[in-house]
Amino acid sequence: MDFVILSIVMLSIGIYGLLTKRHLLKVFISIELIAIGATFNFVTLASAMGKGLGEAFLILAFSTDTAVSAVILALLVIVSKKYGTSDVSEILKIAEEKGETEAEI
Amino acid sequence: MILEILSVGLIISACLALFLDEAVYSVAALAGTFLFTALLYVLNGAVFVAIFQFAVGVGTLAILFLSGEMLSDKPTKKTSLKSTAALIGVGVVLSLPAIFISVSGVASSGADVTFGDALWNLNGLDVVLQGLVILMVAVGTAIVLYQKRSGGK
Repeated sequence: MDFVILSIVMLSIGIYGLLTKRHLLKVFISIELIAIGATFNFVTLASAMGKGLGEAFLILAFSTDTAVSAVILALLVIVSKKYGTSDVSEILKIAEEKGETEAEI
Repeated sequence: MILEILSVGLIISACLALFLDEAVYSVAALAGTFLFTALLYVLNGAVFVAIFQFAVGVGTLAILFLSGEMLSDKPTKKTSLKSTAALIGVGVVLSLPAIFISVSGVASSGADVTFGDALWNLNGLDVVLQGLVILMVAVGTAIVLYQKRSGGK
């Protein structure tokens, strides 16, 4: 049983979802899976440098993870309300019809 | 044995969270992913991290996900039982390398630092406070974005 390989598998699933999924909620879930893989690797390798220090740094990781999640969720709600859909390709299509650039979205 | 079962459950719930079409089921699978992760943290000896995972992950994020799901559009097609079983099979296959393959070379250096020492003597508390500041910035950004959405356009 190796936790490093487990975290690599979680990271791979998250990256695959980030590259292939078009729904904003699935993109959000993919980012969360990547964060879980990273923190899991941190927990595993924390034993190499002292568990207490690793756990203290992990609290920072969880704080930033929560912050990123809050910002992404706010953007998800705003975009889905503005365009009436959560599909990235449909949002881009609607924005093109309105004459908006990607920076204005 | 229980570590292997939890790791298989973690991979399966991650696959289900990503590939199920219904958003509610997907969010429920993600909550399961958080739960399995926290249990693996406990069994790995990181009890404080597991408590944070429970508090932040299962509590706050699940509520955030559900509120976000309510505001997003509903999918038209539903995941069949056959594809759900296929997803579970893929999850089991993906978790096999973690069970049977071992990466050597990660050895303990013997630096036995306790959680209290890390917080007070090794400036871990400073890092935690920085994390809280970043969290406050994120909450402020979310509030500003919400006010902009409800006030304008």
